[in-house]
Amino acid sequence: MENISEILLNSAIYAPFVFAIMLTFSWKFIGAKMSGGIALLSSVISLICGLGVCGCFFFTPEGYNSFVFASRLGILPEFALSALSMPMLALAVIVSFSATVYSLSLEIKNAKLYYILLLVMQGGLFGAFTSTNLLWIYMFHEFALIPTFIAMVLWGSVGKRMAAMQMAIYLTLGALVSLIGIIAVYASSLASDFSIVSISSALTTQHIDASWQKTIFGLLLFGLGTLVSLFPFYTWAPRTYACAPTAFAMLHAGVLKKFGLFVLIQVAVPFLPEGCFQWVNVIAVLALVNVIFIGLVTMAQRDLKLMVSYSSVAHMGLCFLGIASMSVLGVGGAVFLMFGHGLSVALMLMLSNIIVNRTNQWDMFKMGGMYKQTPILAGFFIAGTMASLGLPMFANFWGEITILTSLWDFSPTVCALATTGIVISAIYGLRAVARVFMGKPSKELTERISSIADISKIERVAAIVLVVALVFVGVCPKVISEPADALLKSLPAYNQGK
Amino acid sequence: MEMLNSILFLPLLSAVLIILFLRTSKWGGAMVSVLSAVVCAIMALVVILSNTTSIKSSFVLFELGDFSMNIGLLFDSIGANMLFVVCVVGFLIHVFSVGYMDDDNSKGRFFAGLSFFMFSMSGIVLASNLFMMFVFWELVGFSSYALIAHYADTPDAREASKKAFIVNRVGDFGFLLGIIFCWSVFGTTDFVELAQIIKESPDKASTLMGLLIMCGFIGKSAQFPLQVWLSDAMAGPTPVSALIHAATMVAAGIFMMVRLASIGFLTNDVLAVVMVLGSLMAFMAGLWALGQNDIKKILAYSTLAHLGMMGAGIGLGYGFAMFHLTTHAFFKATLFLVAGSIIHACHHEQNVFKMGGLFKRMPITSITALVATLSIVAIPYFSGYYSKESILTSAFAMASDRGEFFNYVVLALLVGGAFLTPIYMGRLFFNVFLGKPNSERAEHAKESGLFMSIPLIVLGILSIAGGWSYVCECRWFEGKMSCLIPTSACVFVGDFLKSHMKMLHEIPSVHTFEYLTLALTFIGIAIAYVVYGRCGGRDTLEESAPVVYKVLNKHGWFDDIYNWYVAKVQQRIAVLLSVVVDLSLIELLSVRGFGVVCAIVGQGFKRLHDCSANSQVKWFVAGIVFVFALVIFS
Repeated sequence: MENISEILLNSAIYAPFVFAIMLTFSWKFIGAKMSGGIALLSSVISLICGLGVCGCFFFTPEGYNSFVFASRLGILPEFALSALSMPMLALAVIVSFSATVYSLSLEIKNAKLYYILLLVMQGGLFGAFTSTNLLWIYMFHEFALIPTFIAMVLWGSVGKRMAAMQMAIYLTLGALVSLIGIIAVYASSLASDFSIVSISSALTTQHIDASWQKTIFGLLLFGLGTLVSLFPFYTWAPRTYACAPTAFAMLHAGVLKKFGLFVLIQVAVPFLPEGCFQWVNVIAVLALVNVIFIGLVTMAQRDLKLMVSYSSVAHMGLCFLGIASMSVLGVGGAVFLMFGHGLSVALMLMLSNIIVNRTNQWDMFKMGGMYKQTPILAGFFIAGTMASLGLPMFANFWGEITILTSLWDFSPTVCALATTGIVISAIYGLRAVARVFMGKPSKELTERISSIADISKIERVAAIVLVVALVFVGVCPKVISEPADALLKSLPAYNQGK
Repeated sequence: MEMLNSILFLPLLSAVLIILFLRTSKWGGAMVSVLSAVVCAIMALVVILSNTTSIKSSFVLFELGDFSMNIGLLFDSIGANMLFVVCVVGFLIHVFSVGYMDDDNSKGRFFAGLSFFMFSMSGIVLASNLFMMFVFWELVGFSSYALIAHYADTPDAREASKKAFIVNRVGDFGFLLGIIFCWSVFGTTDFVELAQIIKESPDKASTLMGLLIMCGFIGKSAQFPLQVWLSDAMAGPTPVSALIHAATMVAAGIFMMVRLASIGFLTNDVLAVVMVLGSLMAFMAGLWALGQNDIKKILAYSTLAHLGMMGAGIGLGYGFAMFHLTTHAFFKATLFLVAGSIIHACHHEQNVFKMGGLFKRMPITSITALVATLSIVAIPYFSGYYSKESILTSAFAMASDRGEFFNYVVLALLVGGAFLTPIYMGRLFFNVFLGKPNSERAEHAKESGLFMSIPLIVLGILSIAGGWSYVCECRWFEGKMSCLIPTSACVFVGDFLKSHMKMLHEIPSVHTFEYLTLALTFIGIAIAYVVYGRCGGRDTLEESAPVVYKVLNKHGWFDDIYNWYVAKVQQRIAVLLSVVVDLSLIELLSVRGFGVVCAIVGQGFKRLHDCSANSQVKWFVAGIVFVFALVIFS
C-alpha cells in the first residue's frame, strides 16, 4: 500500500516533467496533434495517479495530521501528502486535465512549445502543493509561474504585453517578499533544514519573539497576498486572466492562485500564530474590501471574461476571512472554498472563452438569446454560475457557509459585511446568464446566431470533469473536511478561540 | 424512515434522469416526473397514515471544529400537515402540467425543474435543523429561478427570473445571519434541541435573532418590502405559478415561521412585527389586485394578500397561519389551474377583459372556479371561511383584549383585506365567466382535456371540504382519516384550534363581529357585481377614475423605486468605483504611476553612469571622499 501510493504520487508529479522533456527533445515530425496527444497522455496519467493517491490517503494508518507517502529518492525533492495538500493535489490534477483537454479543441500556433509550457506548469503545480521542503515549494511555484508569462506573451489576446509585464513584476515581487519571509522563519526557528517537519519540531522548543513574528508574518502575508490578489495588490489578476491563453488562465486562476493561501494555512499561521494574531484585523479589513469593493467593480464589467476574472478576485476575500478567523471552522471553510472556487473559476473561464470565440463579441450586452442554439453550453454556464454564487450541492457553498459561520465569533459586523457577498455575487452572476443566454439576440448577434454551434464533444469532456468534481464535493463534503478537521485540530494556532 | 428518504430523493433521481437522458424526449420526461410525483404522493400518504408519533433521524454530513452539518429528517405533526399539502398538490399539478405543456418543445427541462422543485421543497418540510433548511431554501430558490425562466427568450421571463433569485438572496442574507447567530448562541440549530433549550431558559431567544430569521420569511413569502418579485414571477408557465408561487414554495416562509413559533423561538416583539407587516400586505395587495388586468397577476396579488394574512396569523396564533396555509394551498392552486386551463383554451390570452362568457364553453373549469372563488372569499362551509374567520376572530379578540392602538390597526387592515377579496375575485369571475366573449380567442375556447380537468375537480373538492377536517369530528378508516385529510396531518392545527377557539368564543360580542365580517363579504360581492358585473370588456374603474386605477396599477411604486435604485444608484456606484478607484486611482495612478517614477529614476541613474574615463575618475574620487567621511564621522 505504502509503496504503491509512493509510486503513484511520484508518477503524478514527474509525468508532466518527463513528457515535457521528451517533447522538447523530440523529432520534428511530432506535430501539433501528436504533442497534444502526448500532453493529454501526461495529464491523464497525472489525473489517475493523483486521484489514486488522494484515495489512498483515506486509508493511511498514520492518520490525517501528518505527512504521508513521503518519497526519499536521495537528492531529489521529497513529496508527501498532508490533509491540506490532498485536496489541492486533486484540484491541480483535475484542472490540469480539463485545461489540456480544452487546449485540444483549439487551433494553436507553435503547438509543441505550448504543450511543453503547459506540462511544465502542471508539474510545477503538483510539486508546489506536495513538497515537504519550503525551498522546493518555492521553486516549484516558480516552475508553474514562469510558463504563464511566456505563454501570455506568445498566445495572449489584446493588451497582452502590458498585462504580462504587470503580472510578471507583481508576482515575482510577491514571491520574492514571501521568500524573504520563508527564510526568516527558517532562520529564527534554528532548524537544521528547510523541511516543514523539522522547522515545526524546532519551533516546539524555540519560541520566536512576538514582535519579530509580526514582522515575518507581515512579509508572508503581503508576499503571498499579492499572489492571491489581496487588495490592494490585485490589479494584475483581472487583465491576466482575460489576456492569457485560456488553459493557462484556468491553471493560474484555478490552481496556482490557491498556492498563496495554501502556504498561509499550512506554514505561516501555524508557525507564527502570534504574528498572525496581530494581523487579523488588517486581513479582515483588506479581505472585506476584496469582497465588497471588488464585488461592486465586478458588477460594473461588461466584458464577460473580465467579469469572471474580477469575480475570482472578489471570492478570494472570503478565503482570507476564513484564515482571519483563525479557527478550525474558518480555515476548513477556506480549504473548501479554495477547492470549489478553483474548479468553478476554471469552468467559467473556459466557458466564457468558448462564448467569446463563438460570438466574436466580448461585450455581454451584445450577446443574448443564445440558449436555444446552445442549450448544453447554457446548462454548463448556469451550473458554473450557480457554483460560484454558492448554491448548495456545489463545493463552494460549504466553503461560504462555514467561513461565514466562523466569522460570527470573530465579529458579527465582519460576518454581516462578508455576507453581503452572497447578494453581490448573485447579482453579477445572474446578470451574465441573462445577458448572454436569455432574451432575444442583440442586433450584433442576430445574423450570426444560427451559425453558433453548441459546445463540442471535447469541450464537453473538459467541462464535465469540473462539474462532476464540484458536485461530488458538494454532495460529499466529508472527503475534504474529515482530513482537514483532524489536521487543523492538531495545530494549536487554530484552536485558541472561545 | 426509508419511506421519508425515498420521498426526499426520488424526485431528485427523476430530475437527474430527465436532465441527463430524457432532455429531448417528447413524453419521456413528463412520464418519469409524473411517476415520481405519484409514488411520492402515495408514500407520503402511507407515512402520514401509519405514523402518529414523530420520527427523527440524523446523519452527519461533515464536521469542522465544533460545527457539525446534519442532514436529518424530522417528521412531526406540522411536517405531516405540510408534507400532505406539498405531495398531494404537487402530484395534482404534475398531472395538470402534462395537459398544459402538451405543445411545448422543452418539456424535458420543465419536468426536470418540477421534479427538482419537489425534491427541494420536501427537503424544507423534512429538515431537522436550520442549516439544512437553508440548504433546501436555496435549492427551491434555484428551481423557482429555473422554472420562471422557462420561456427565457421573452424579456419578461429573463428579468423576472433574475429578480426572483436576487430578491430572495437579499432575504437570505438576513436569514443566514440569523441562523449563524442562533448557532453561536445555542450551539445547535436542531429544532428539537432548540425546543428543549428554550423550554429550560426562555430568555435565550432574542428579538434580533428572530428578526434576522424573519428576513428569510419576508424574501421567500414575498412580504413587505421584498414583495416585488412575486407578481413578475408570473412570467413562468402557469402550473409553476400554481405550485411554486401560490401553494407551496411561497408558503415555505410561513411554514418555517410556524415551526419556530411553535417552539417559542420567536419573541413577542418579532411576532408583533410579523403581524403588522402581514396585515399591511393583506390590505395593500388586495387593493393592488384591483389595478391588474392579467388574470395571473390578479391571482398573484391575491396570493400576496393571503400570505400577508397568514403572516398576521403567525403573530395571532401560529396554528391559524398553518390552517390558512393549508386551505389557501387548495383554493389558490385551484384558481391558478383554472387560470391555466383558460389560458390554454384561449391560446395564451391573459387579459381578463378579453375573456367573458366562458361559463358555457368551459363548464368544468367554471364550476371549479366558482367553488374556489367562494372558498377564497370566505363563504360559510367552504374551506377558506374557517381559516380566514379564525384569523379575523383572533385579531378581534387580541384587539379587544389588549386594546392597544396597533392591535386595532392590525384588525382594521385584516378586515379591510377580507373585504377586498370578494371585490377583486368578483371582478375576475364576472368578467371571465359571465357576459359575452370579448375577443375571438374567448369565443373559440373549449373545455380542456382530462389531464387538466381531473386535477381541477380534485382540487375543487378539496377547496370545499379541505377545511372540514379541521373543524368537525368525522373520522373514518379506523379514525385515521378525518374527512378528506389524514388525521395526523390535521392534528397540529386541530389541537390548536380546539384550545384557542373555545377561549375566543367566550369573548363578548365576538358573534356580532363574525356576522359583521360575513355581511361585509356579501357587500363586497354586491359591490363587485355592481361595479364590474356588466362592464363588457372595459375596466369600470379605469374608465371612471383613471387616476385611482393608475395608482393601484403601480402597486405602491415599489418596482419603480427599486429599478431606480438598481439602475441609478447601485450600478452607478459600481461604475464609479470601477472607473475612479479601480482604473484611475489604483491601476493608473498607483501602479502605472509607480512604473513611471521607476522609469524616471532609472533614466537619472543612467545619466550619472556613462562610460567615459572622466566620469569614472569623478566617481572614484567621490567614493574615496565618502569612505573617509564615514570613517571620520563615526
